Amino acid sequence: MLALALVWVLGRAVGLFGASANLSLFIVVTLNGLTLAGLYFIVASGFTLIFGLMRVVNMAHGSLYLLGGYIGLRLVEHRVNYWLALVLAALAIGVVGLLMQQLFLRWNQGQDLRQALITIAISVLLADQMIPTFGAAAVAIKAPDGLSGALRFGLYDIRYPTFRLVVLGLAVLIGVSLWYGIQHTRFGMIIRAGVDDRSMTSALGINVQAVFAVTFFIGALLAGLGGVLGGTMIALAPGQDASFLLSSLVVVIVGGMGSLAGALVGALALGLVAQLSGVYLPAGYTNFSILLTFALLVFVLAVRPTGLFGRR
Amino acid sequence: MTLLGTRRGWGRWTVALGLALMVAACGNSTATTSNSTIKLGIMTTCGGPFAAFEQESFSGAKYALIQQAGGKAQGTGPQNGVTGASVSGHPIEISFGCTDASPDKARAEARRLVQNVGVDILLGPLSGDEGIAIANYAKQQPNKTFVNGTSGAQQTTLSVKAPNFFRFGGDGAQWMAGLGTYASQTLHWKNVAILGEDYSYPWTQAAGFIGEFCPAGGKISKRIWIPLGTTDWASAVAQLPSNIDGFLLLTGGTDTVAVEKEYATRGGNLATHMLGGSSVMDPTSFTVGKALTGLAGGSPVPLGSTDSAWTSYVSGLEGVYPADPKGSLAGSLFTGLYYDGMSAIIRGLKQVNGDLSGNQSKFQQALSGLTLSSPNGELKLDANRNAIITNYIVQIVTQSDGSLGFKTIKTVPGVDQTFHGFFGPTSAPSRDSPSC
Repeated sequence: MLALALVWVLGRAVGLFGASANLSLFIVVTLNGLTLAGLYFIVASGFTLIFGLMRVVNMAHGSLYLLGGYIGLRLVEHRVNYWLALVLAALAIGVVGLLMQQLFLRWNQGQDLRQALITIAISVLLADQMIPTFGAAAVAIKAPDGLSGALRFGLYDIRYPTFRLVVLGLAVLIGVSLWYGIQHTRFGMIIRAGVDDRSMTSALGINVQAVFAVTFFIGALLAGLGGVLGGTMIALAPGQDASFLLSSLVVVIVGGMGSLAGALVGALALGLVAQLSGVYLPAGYTNFSILLTFALLVFVLAVRPTGLFGRR
Repeated sequence: MTLLGTRRGWGRWTVALGLALMVAACGNSTATTSNSTIKLGIMTTCGGPFAAFEQESFSGAKYALIQQAGGKAQGTGPQNGVTGASVSGHPIEISFGCTDASPDKARAEARRLVQNVGVDILLGPLSGDEGIAIANYAKQQPNKTFVNGTSGAQQTTLSVKAPNFFRFGGDGAQWMAGLGTYASQTLHWKNVAILGEDYSYPWTQAAGFIGEFCPAGGKISKRIWIPLGTTDWASAVAQLPSNIDGFLLLTGGTDTVAVEKEYATRGGNLATHMLGGSSVMDPTSFTVGKALTGLAGGSPVPLGSTDSAWTSYVSGLEGVYPADPKGSLAGSLFTGLYYDGMSAIIRGLKQVNGDLSGNQSKFQQALSGLTLSSPNGELKLDANRNAIITNYIVQIVTQSDGSLGFKTIKTVPGVDQTFHGFFGPTSAPSRDSPSC
């Protein structure tokens, strides 16, 4: 099925199946898919980290994304340097996440349903409070000078927004750092052990509570980071908390809950399917592009119920 | 699995909540309103892609109550009530309804307001597909009166035609009157692409543009329709052909900002290569910045006009609902048309001394025959209870203080829904209709 879809898209790009050849469109749309996947990966890697270790489905993850974006916006509006604003907003959301975990989730350890409901409540409260505080209109964060324009490729006269490529680069950087941290550091070893067997790790004398706190901090921080980047790349508006929560869910369900590689593959699949389907579905069916991302979800769940990289 | 467990839990809650609501609805369905109090419902979008228009639409409707029915604002927020309003001795009670631009939510919310709260008159909804749903619902509630907010699908009054549904703001095609001519005669565009959200209102707006542009010799080389709820519009913008003179953007709220930002980032010139649909010409898009200066589009309200009817409306509105930044409420068609709708309701009620007896027939007759002097010109209804309006071409300008604002550059009087017979009940606009 995947091969067929690929043949169809490439065929239409080079002018088969009744389409006129347009390789520059194909390149731009693929880049759009990759850069969107980068953003999805940054947000979803935090989500999957928290779930993998703590089995908490953090339904407030999208709200943390949006809040992070708004904090970044306010800082940039007050003439704080963009990159400093990015770091400060991400740290602030990390702290919000940490407080959330310590105040509301810690004493409900192991009660998955209750924790999910608590995070839903937090997300509703945050969403309602953000509207009067930051307004209901869409707002965009100004990209740093020098990155706000478009890059010329010297190929088919393509001009591509520089900042989207920056997001993709940052996503790669974050992915590599997370991979290194999890595979090659002592803390990462504890996380991996915790993912495999939480009670055994605890029995070995490791302070699991501290590990949980740090993990939640990092997971939330990534959501905040994604919010500032997303607010610059696309825009910020009420409702995006829900849509980024949904895309994070799709990414980690497709990739496998708790797996970093899964988040990477899931984000790539979702980003590329969302962008390519909107353009390359047969004319008259492009409105099904949103459905197609869920068809992807259903297909993966039917073949591999634990996701592509998930473990039972 | 955790998630499935959660979903099952939600399922149970939903069923329980549904049953509770059904019981509540049955309990209240026989309740009647007292003779003296008139219950008004105001419905708009508070969530979804058009959440940004909540403040605008609510403030317009409430300002009319304050200005013309002696109401007192309980605050400057969009959901703060208005108390003390009355018409011919009948106190007015207001209930608010919130939707997310989807027809099913609009219908559910209208049902709650009409059958549960028991409103006599409902003002709303905001968005196109919602309007079609509410006009169909109006047919099931013949003893209530429905006055449209800003929903602009053509079918609502041209083919659904509920006898108790009134639209004083016109439809989306009427709001484009003058723009097709402007594109072909002033800008000398021959080849245009259309990029818009994929539902009835942008299709209607496209029809209004095509209705003038194509008979004048213009060509639409591509129509790109993107589903509502799409977050990233980059690939939509990438699909615009390179050999066009310009494109027409038919989006609202968040989507407008996403497209304008993407197009400007790629080096595109919004002022010279884009024309805006009526919801594009809204202050909520000003976050895009100076790149918008010079952008023109069609609007049913004379944004930035120096006409005294308009300026006194703006200063009156801002006296009650101080907007930050200045002009951000008054510079919106949603504020203006909700104000018109509520003004029509108050005028109609005054004409019949608040008498809603006889299934509101006297009141509905009064509405049908009304000539409303609004800040956007004189409004009169046609046989389908859809207004014949004055339309405007407006342009975004940089004001003396450096902020963005509007000016009106052209006025098109006497625009009827059929464009003098070009549209009819069977020619509903769709993705590729009318052809060009």
